[in-house]
Amino acid sequence: MAIESATQDPPTTTPSAAPSLSESSPASAQPPPPIQKIGPAWLTAWLAKWSIEQRVLGGFGLVFASIVIISVVSYRNTSVVVKNSRLDSASHELVQLLGSIEEALIAAESGHRRYLVTGDESYLKAHRTIVEQMPEYARYLQALTGPVPEQRERIAQVEQLIKQQLDIEANAIQQRAERGAEAVRQLAMPGVAKRQFDEIHQLIADLENYEQQSARARLLQSTGTTRSTIALLALGAILQLVLLGSVYYFIHHDITNRRRAAAELRRQGELLQAANKELEAFSYSVSHDLRAPLRHIDGYAALLSKTAGPSLNDKAQRYLQTISESAKQMGQLIDDLLVFSRMGRQEMLRSTVNLNQLVKTVIHDLRLDLQGRTISWTIGSLPDVPGDPAMLRQVFMNLISNAVKFTATRPTPRIEIGGTRQFPGEVTIFVRDNGVGFDMQYVNKLFGVFQRLHRNDEFEGTGIGLANVRRIIHRHGGRTWAEGKIDQGATFYLSLPVKRTVS
Amino acid sequence: MTTVKPILLAEDNPRDAELALAAMEEHHIADKVVVCHDGAEVLDYLYCRGAYKSRECGNPVVVFLDLKMPKIDGIEVLRTIKNDVNLKPIPVVMLTSSREERDLAQSYALGANAYVVKPVEFQQFISAVKELGVFWGVINEPPPEGTESAA
Repeated sequence: MAIESATQDPPTTTPSAAPSLSESSPASAQPPPPIQKIGPAWLTAWLAKWSIEQRVLGGFGLVFASIVIISVVSYRNTSVVVKNSRLDSASHELVQLLGSIEEALIAAESGHRRYLVTGDESYLKAHRTIVEQMPEYARYLQALTGPVPEQRERIAQVEQLIKQQLDIEANAIQQRAERGAEAVRQLAMPGVAKRQFDEIHQLIADLENYEQQSARARLLQSTGTTRSTIALLALGAILQLVLLGSVYYFIHHDITNRRRAAAELRRQGELLQAANKELEAFSYSVSHDLRAPLRHIDGYAALLSKTAGPSLNDKAQRYLQTISESAKQMGQLIDDLLVFSRMGRQEMLRSTVNLNQLVKTVIHDLRLDLQGRTISWTIGSLPDVPGDPAMLRQVFMNLISNAVKFTATRPTPRIEIGGTRQFPGEVTIFVRDNGVGFDMQYVNKLFGVFQRLHRNDEFEGTGIGLANVRRIIHRHGGRTWAEGKIDQGATFYLSLPVKRTVS
Repeated sequence: MTTVKPILLAEDNPRDAELALAAMEEHHIADKVVVCHDGAEVLDYLYCRGAYKSRECGNPVVVFLDLKMPKIDGIEVLRTIKNDVNLKPIPVVMLTSSREERDLAQSYALGANAYVVKPVEFQQFISAVKELGVFWGVINEPPPEGTESAA
């Protein structure tokens, strides 16, 4: 019992289809697949175009892409926050430094005034300290000031003014030391470099103010980016969950469908097997039961002819003869039909068949049918083909015996057998005769079961031979066709796939 | 061997039986033939029970066995014969309409000695039955009575 090994293709997809969402209307182009509805028709149809692997890959690709995007954006946001905090601490230090410088300046200024009044040098300590430390302060200031030109200018001004003030103070101190308290009395009361001092105060206040403002702006920015990062991460997490969920859903959906299809296939297989069993039982009973009455008809006709033969006239004898012949013919029909049915069910052997050898054997076996006729045989070189030896033997037996049969009326019967390799992956074999031929009008009937183009009194036969040929060749994955012309012979072709020899 | 040993023909179809007998008649061996009409009757005959209780016991020279028979079919009868030490030596010839591979294989697997498909054509049928009858009933030397199977 052979079930044709038709491979059950999985729901195929078209790999060439562009993966764009814009293809949103293939619902009409794609026959609706027999799957459970999971959304709008177009979505279902669109999804059906993708294999499970493509769907999974697509889903994971989207997840991956969203992870990459989220990572990049988060990294950028975080680096903004980090940069801001670095700027914040620099700005904080700058403000502190400015405070210290201011304090030191105030101490130096008031110290030098006291010195001018008292002449006590201990009051000059603060002045000397700041003069000494000023280069360092300047370096710190440079380092801590950002690249903002506005601020840098202010810092430069502050440095300039401090320098001026300290120079003026030093000048006053020198005068006091050289010419005494009287010389600097006017200076001592209001203090020297009053103008610079006030300007410095003003500038430092501006500097601090600016830093505070930018710190506030940075804080706002950091808060914003942090918030957006959190939102993005949350969104990403949700998106990934959704994507993973849908990937899972589609896989699950696909697997469910496949399971269902497999179950359905199994069920069909069982049904097919049951049907095949039934068919077998049927053909068995045809084989056994239908033959018995035929045997009886022929048998009793023969017995009758034997017992009553002498007393029967010619007409009655002929009737008996006809009864016998009909019974025999029906027996032949039944036998042929059984062979035909067996050819469809029988398990196929897969081996390599040497057609040269096979044709030689068939012709040898047919020599009895030739009854002394001479036929001119032309046999070309035939290839080895993959197939079932017994079945292919049946094919050539039928084709060659047909050729022999239909050339019976020719004075010089010729039969030619040959092979060609017209198309890659298959061989074509032909059996040509110069027999009675046929009308191409009926070419389609040739290979049908019980189809005959000749009356039985012209050429006998049951009309099953070519049907068998076609069935066997189809089971081998090949094709059959024929060409002919009345009274000018016929050519029967068959093609067989030879995948193994053609890479 | 004083008595002529019979040929046992298991054939449920009376017409087939009659035709077979007609064929054997031509060779004057019809009187040796015992016809059974189903598998159960064959076993009754072989085991000398039922309707054949009073027959003189002894194995037939050959059993012609149809496959398809009422009550117990040919395959079952064959199985019983070949599983019984005393019946096993009897030559069994399957005489059937079936050409199915399965039947052939099963019959030979169970130990059938020959398998003959009844030809539709009467002349062929006659000659087949005749030849079978002559070969198994006359030419072939049956196993000696009471042989224990060597197996």
